[in-house]
Amino acid sequence: MALYTSSKHAKFLATGLPIYDFLAPSLLQASRASLQIRHLTKAKRYHSAAASNEKHDKSPSQPSRNPRSGADAASNPPPLKKPLTQAQRDFLTSALRVNQAGELAATLIYAAQTPPIISSHPHLRPLMKHMYDQEATHFSTFNALMAKHRIRPTAMYPLWTLAASALGWGTAIMGREAAMACTEAVETEIGGHYNGQVRVLLEMAEQMEKNGDDIGDELKDLIETIRRIRDEELEHLDHAVEHDAKQAVPHELLTGVIRAGCKGAIWVSERV
Amino acid sequence: MATRTRLARLWPLSKPSALPLIRPYHSYDHPPPPGPFNPTESSILEAAIPHIPTHGFTHTTLSIGASDAGYIAASTNLFPNGAFSLVHYHLYTQRLALAKHQHIISPPPREGEKPIGIGGKVKALTWERLMGNKEIIHRWQEALALIAQPSHLPTAISELSSLSDEIWFLSGDTSVDTSWYTKRASLSAIYAATELFMTTDKSPNFDDTRDFLDRRFKDVQIVGGTMGSVTQWAGFTATAALNVLRSKGVRI
Repeated sequence: MALYTSSKHAKFLATGLPIYDFLAPSLLQASRASLQIRHLTKAKRYHSAAASNEKHDKSPSQPSRNPRSGADAASNPPPLKKPLTQAQRDFLTSALRVNQAGELAATLIYAAQTPPIISSHPHLRPLMKHMYDQEATHFSTFNALMAKHRIRPTAMYPLWTLAASALGWGTAIMGREAAMACTEAVETEIGGHYNGQVRVLLEMAEQMEKNGDDIGDELKDLIETIRRIRDEELEHLDHAVEHDAKQAVPHELLTGVIRAGCKGAIWVSERV
Repeated sequence: MATRTRLARLWPLSKPSALPLIRPYHSYDHPPPPGPFNPTESSILEAAIPHIPTHGFTHTTLSIGASDAGYIAASTNLFPNGAFSLVHYHLYTQRLALAKHQHIISPPPREGEKPIGIGGKVKALTWERLMGNKEIIHRWQEALALIAQPSHLPTAISELSSLSDEIWFLSGDTSVDTSWYTKRASLSAIYAATELFMTTDKSPNFDDTRDFLDRRFKDVQIVGGTMGSVTQWAGFTATAALNVLRSKGVRI
């Protein structure tokens, strides 16, 4: 879309024609969020078209920016850092929200699994405690990030609380192997999910670097945090497989159902 | 992506969700995205605000504001929502002005005094926001009539929810669970009710409004406290029952 808009725009400029914005108003209008009131003057339109060019920084052939008068350029120097685009902000919002929901569920699963498991297999106590403690740290990390960045928690919070506790308790009752299979299924999904997020974030960082923008410590820290947490989740996966997760009786069925549930929960939490 | 965009543009009205109903990622490294008003609109609306006490939330005020700001009176055509733009601008600027009350948000620590808690800050900020309506309160019913129009209602509701979010955030609340929703919903209800009460308040310094606000906060505290106690009791009983069963050797 950026290419489309900007090449059109560039053509207009090259031919020196006035912009017939009354003919194609929607092509030149910025997709500014919360645009309640349309602006009509030409100067403003230039401004918003420039903003939309900046916004869609994916366009490979950056068209020449709109000529600005000296006075205009002097009175409005470009900001040091550009605002994040709507798409980037949306991604960060849903990513942090779904991560918090996931860690909430993980904490509750381990908390519900621990008592039945350690009453029948006391030697697993340190392992369960270790995994629970790590999940609790992740949960508080994401809680802090959510509060800091003013992100709405998922509306399904009470539902996930119930579902995760029921899942943890249910699999623990079914025995050690089933509980470990549950861990295996959940951590596989979560690991893949975090991997996807890291990939998108790295792409975003690369894109910003290419455009000469500063990424900022905030995003760098976020990438580091998610990477670290992903590694710890995958470590849990290894623990689960070491403890006979594959020997759970309907292994395929159990992990399949749990993984489908995880996927569904991720899909929902990203949206509401 | 071009196809998608063009498709979306076929139905421009199907995207009224341009409203900032969902307040996404608040960055500290990057500047915030532009607000709902561009500089021209802001200058006209800013010039119009002082005329509201005399002329109300009307088109006349907008025209006067435009000529005060050095534009021709016809530039009120910039505002397809007409007088509602004045209401929106008032709500928007007053909400942003809350961040200036640093003496409430981060008060200097005083010797021998307990620092003001989150609840106290919420109360104080809500009061400051109500006092932002002081000059125009006798005209506020006109604004409420505009807000109640179906086409303007979504913007007004989103402003209200942004306001309660802003107050909780500035007060330093960090809860991100279900109480996130209940806190904002109850504060929005309290604020809307008190604002309505204030339109008919003739007492000096809005003392009656202050009492009304205190009573509403007390109500919420009682309800919240009761809910908390019931939840705690139920949780304790359930855990105790489970542990009794476990101690009897039931494998759960």
